Amino acid sequence: MFELARGPLVWVAATVFLVGIALRIVELFLLTKKRERIQWPTHGITTDSRAERKLKPILAFRHSLIGKHPVMAIVSGIFHACLFAAPIFAMGHTLLLRQSWGISLWSLSSPVVDILNIIVLLGVLFMLVRRIAVPRVRAVSSVKDLLFLFIVAAPYLTGFLAYHQWFEYRAILILHMLAGELMLMAIPFTRLGHMVIFFFFRGLVGSEHSIVRGSRVWSA
Amino acid sequence: MIIAEKKQLEEIKAMLQGYRKVLNVGCGGCTSVCLAGGLKEVEDLCTQLTISLEGDRVVFEAEGYTVERQCEPHFLAQLDEIVKPYDALLSLGCGAGTQLLAERYPDKPVFPALNTVFIGVNRDIGWYEERCKSCGDCVLGMTGGICPNALCAKGLLNGPCGGPKDDHCEVNAEVPCAWIRIYERLKAQGRLENILTICPAREWQDQVQGTLILQPYRDRYAKKDK
Amino acid sequence: MPKQDSQSVDTEQIQALLKKNKRSMTLLLTACAGCTLCAESCFLFMNKGKAPEYMPSYKVLNSLGKLYRKHGKVSRAELEKMRDLLWKNCMLCERCYCALGIDLPKMIAFARRILRSQGIDGVYPHSLGAPEEESG
Repeated sequence: MFELARGPLVWVAATVFLVGIALRIVELFLLTKKRERIQWPTHGITTDSRAERKLKPILAFRHSLIGKHPVMAIVSGIFHACLFAAPIFAMGHTLLLRQSWGISLWSLSSPVVDILNIIVLLGVLFMLVRRIAVPRVRAVSSVKDLLFLFIVAAPYLTGFLAYHQWFEYRAILILHMLAGELMLMAIPFTRLGHMVIFFFFRGLVGSEHSIVRGSRVWSA
Repeated sequence: MIIAEKKQLEEIKAMLQGYRKVLNVGCGGCTSVCLAGGLKEVEDLCTQLTISLEGDRVVFEAEGYTVERQCEPHFLAQLDEIVKPYDALLSLGCGAGTQLLAERYPDKPVFPALNTVFIGVNRDIGWYEERCKSCGDCVLGMTGGICPNALCAKGLLNGPCGGPKDDHCEVNAEVPCAWIRIYERLKAQGRLENILTICPAREWQDQVQGTLILQPYRDRYAKKDK
Repeated sequence: MPKQDSQSVDTEQIQALLKKNKRSMTLLLTACAGCTLCAESCFLFMNKGKAPEYMPSYKVLNSLGKLYRKHGKVSRAELEKMRDLLWKNCMLCERCYCALGIDLPKMIAFARRILRSQGIDGVYPHSLGAPEEESG
């Protein structure tokens, strides 16, 4: 099992992840098209008055994620930062990467990764509690949400257990690898793909709330 | 859809001079869609007024409430209790909605936060174009779906005028000549004979207040004869 | 559109419509993580005591989401419930936002289209034959 998890399954997971993400991106581009830009008009353009321009930043802040939902914004931001930093820069992983493919990334020492791990797990716990305790979130929740929280937590939980060598090390290590592979494969085909979808919809597709101009529109 | 745009803050402040507690009434209809008077705009206006007047050292309180549509009395009904503590109302609905609001609360000064500009279409988010003058005598069937009243600067019914340069209007060179567009549209559909006959002038300048009661509802509203 | 009696549901017609926009709609529905950050963007949610049935995500997941989950096999009663979500709980003012950029009005509009194909449309008070509604 160990050889399977650390060998072929890694290739399977990586391939499914990369091909899946590529397919998602292609799909997003196919479902949208470039916005036509027309030469005229240059009249009828509204301008803000001086008083309005001065107040614009305050209004923008109040309507931003951190302005309207400060707790969610901060928790989510820290959570996501640690979510990416831990697996990519963990010493345990970067060493393996260098051994296998000769790629040398910056490394974070294991105690630091341990803390990042805990932050991720606390983040998942926060989301779990929110899902159960906040009525409006409960209203749109189902078992599926618990499943996804589990899929995200599993690699970090098993990584934590493996580092601290609780339980049988080798067994935990196998679970850790399998959990990581599962999460990678789940990303392109489920809501976890929001890591790509977010940038596409908020960045490329123009709307009232797009982060930049937004050059694409829906095809249909 | 009715397109409106927000008046500049200075003008709104000037209107509200002397009032201390104002309710900003938003509209979830046309002015929400055209980004002029929806929930977000109501919140923004409350913030702008409060901060700006604070800077002017004026005692002022602004709160907001957005109704589904201001042009329907049964949607305004929910405001009856809400408006009581306010000195004045600032409407973020179109001219029609603002008037209904003023009619419903005749003892409260009602001010328009928006200028209602035209009946138009959404080209794209934040970009609206006039297409209709609500003249009450639609000729779109004849012109292949292009309105000569709204889109021809001279409102010609038997255009073009002979002024277009490079297919653009001589009154506003940025705009294509509506009649050349009408010609091309009808040509593509094989219906050029539409514009070959001269049309008599139409009454497009009707300034009397319009009222429309649909046939199935006439009984409901007609006074009974004694 | 063939005339329908008020009790039947043309499942095949619903399924054909669902299939037509399957790629875009299922992508949008899958992406929803139920974070409820869209709630404050809806003026009806804010007015109606922040009741969850007015959250844009709730409206979409329980109308279009339900239609896709059940592969179009819904009862008339379920469609009537959706009608309330789509026309009473939503004005299609198109101002709702999503942290991930999911196009919520697009899904509401499509769900309305599906219901209209079954002869279910928004009932506006004061229209002929409609029951008188309490105002406010």
